[in-house]
Amino acid sequence: MVQPDTNDPVTGPFWLAASEQRLVMSWCERCDCAVWYPKPACPECGGLLHWKTLSGDATLLSWTVVSKTMNPSFNGSYIPALVVPRDAPGTRLVTQLVDCEPAELVCDMPLALRFGMLQPREGDPYMAPLFTPFRLRVGP
Amino acid sequence: MSVSGQSLEQLVRRAGYFDWGSAVPLEDIRGEVAIAGIGETPYSGPSGRNARDLCLEAVAAAIADAGLQPADIDGLMVSKGIADQITPEDFHAHFGTSQPIWFSREGGGMIWAATSAHAAAQALRRGEARHIVNVFAVDWASRRADGRGTPGDWHASEVMKAHFELPFGWYPQPVYFATFARRYMHEFGLTERQLAALPVAFRRHANRHPGAVMREKSLSVEDYLDRAPLADPLRMEDCCLISDGGAAYVYTSVERARDLRQRPVIVEGVGRGIVDGAPYISQQKQITATPQTFAAPWAFAMADANPGELDVIAVYDCFSITALMQIEDMGLCSKGEGGHFIQDGRLDFDRPRSRGGIPCNTHGGLLSHAYVLGIAHVVELVKQLRGEAVNQVENAELAAYAGFTADEGSTLVLRRG
Ligand SMILES: [Zn+2]
Repeated sequence: MVQPDTNDPVTGPFWLAASEQRLVMSWCERCDCAVWYPKPACPECGGLLHWKTLSGDATLLSWTVVSKTMNPSFNGSYIPALVVPRDAPGTRLVTQLVDCEPAELVCDMPLALRFGMLQPREGDPYMAPLFTPFRLRVGP
Repeated sequence: MSVSGQSLEQLVRRAGYFDWGSAVPLEDIRGEVAIAGIGETPYSGPSGRNARDLCLEAVAAAIADAGLQPADIDGLMVSKGIADQITPEDFHAHFGTSQPIWFSREGGGMIWAATSAHAAAQALRRGEARHIVNVFAVDWASRRADGRGTPGDWHASEVMKAHFELPFGWYPQPVYFATFARRYMHEFGLTERQLAALPVAFRRHANRHPGAVMREKSLSVEDYLDRAPLADPLRMEDCCLISDGGAAYVYTSVERARDLRQRPVIVEGVGRGIVDGAPYISQQKQITATPQTFAAPWAFAMADANPGELDVIAVYDCFSITALMQIEDMGLCSKGEGGHFIQDGRLDFDRPRSRGGIPCNTHGGLLSHAYVLGIAHVVELVKQLRGEAVNQVENAELAAYAGFTADEGSTLVLRRG
């Protein structure tokens, strides 16, 4: 089962925000830092956590190209990755890279957030925060 | 029984501090406990047997090897959560015995193949047991063949992994370690050809080892490079087998072991390390190192030895890259130099320390012997230190096992008695 659950009290807000094309992380206001993965309270100060929208800028920690036979939850090969959000550099987001060729990927390269639908082999598609290599837009 | 030399403060000082994990403060048990008997089942693909049967067969073999009777066994250590293990009731039902048995679920394979020695030493100290069997078996090849589960099940059931990792396809375990291997290649320039040295050396050992699952299948570096990646840069040959099988060993005091049938193998040091933020390896601060980083210095401090003195090692090789990183993290070479270090047959059983080698996984490891989660690694080291191994290493006196569960690591230093 790979389908995210938007109703889960602890993890659902991430996927609910994703459905609105916002990338959020669990955050402690008092410490002003991400608490990832989410916990009932801040492990540093015990304070309440809320969900903070991130800018979407990130760098590529690492990735792999997964073959069809390795994980049959998706049709065909795909590129899961660990990325470091600029606003929460002590954490990693698990995501997928899209609109790129494996040959152009380099660790530590800048990435841009790009929302897209993921379609598991079984179940409904879901909107997910994905990333793509950051490219300067060149004029027409 | 004497309580040995070094205080916790001394061990902490010698083992050092780290900013992404730490060693569990295990008190010094050097020279208190020995492995006095070993036993194994056949190792195979789907056998139709269950893990409990396999456990009992391995236990019976270990007791006989030690020259003991089932009624002499008053301690049993098994795994807490992995596969179906046995209880004292199963032991009594099988052997027709009734003695009281000290029972611990802090045993089995993976990190516990090492740390069980520490728990056993404490039980021996307290007089709770005299002869303790540690056992572990899996029937995952049969289970997978019947669609009754896979080694990835725990990962898929953990809430944060299920909600933040599986939806992106960062699953199962080969995908984690492929991601780490890619980063390692970036940081240290490791090539696929260099990485091949691990699966090729372990396969060569398995090809000479009766009972190794991959005994009949050879593997050259060129064969390896010709295979398509499963999760690049890892190929099938970089990933552990899925097997049925089990093994067991008997712990007792060193004094008692000297009266038994086999040459004792003495526990010199035990270490256990835990990554901060466990169990989420996606959040681990360092993904090009393992918790062996914290475990090994503790075990070597307890053993008052250094890694350069090791004659043979057995390293938990769920993936080639994890074995490579642990070889570094044990202190056998500097961080990042592993890819170069393992070339030119340095891991081969027939390149002993006297010729610059460090024979590794001389039974074939999880990649080519059997995936029994490290319990057979320790059994192989016992055979090496007794001088009874098939791929016997010349003058094997000091050995170490590196155990691994992703977020935890362990080290067991053993000496020929
Ligand atoms: Zn806080």
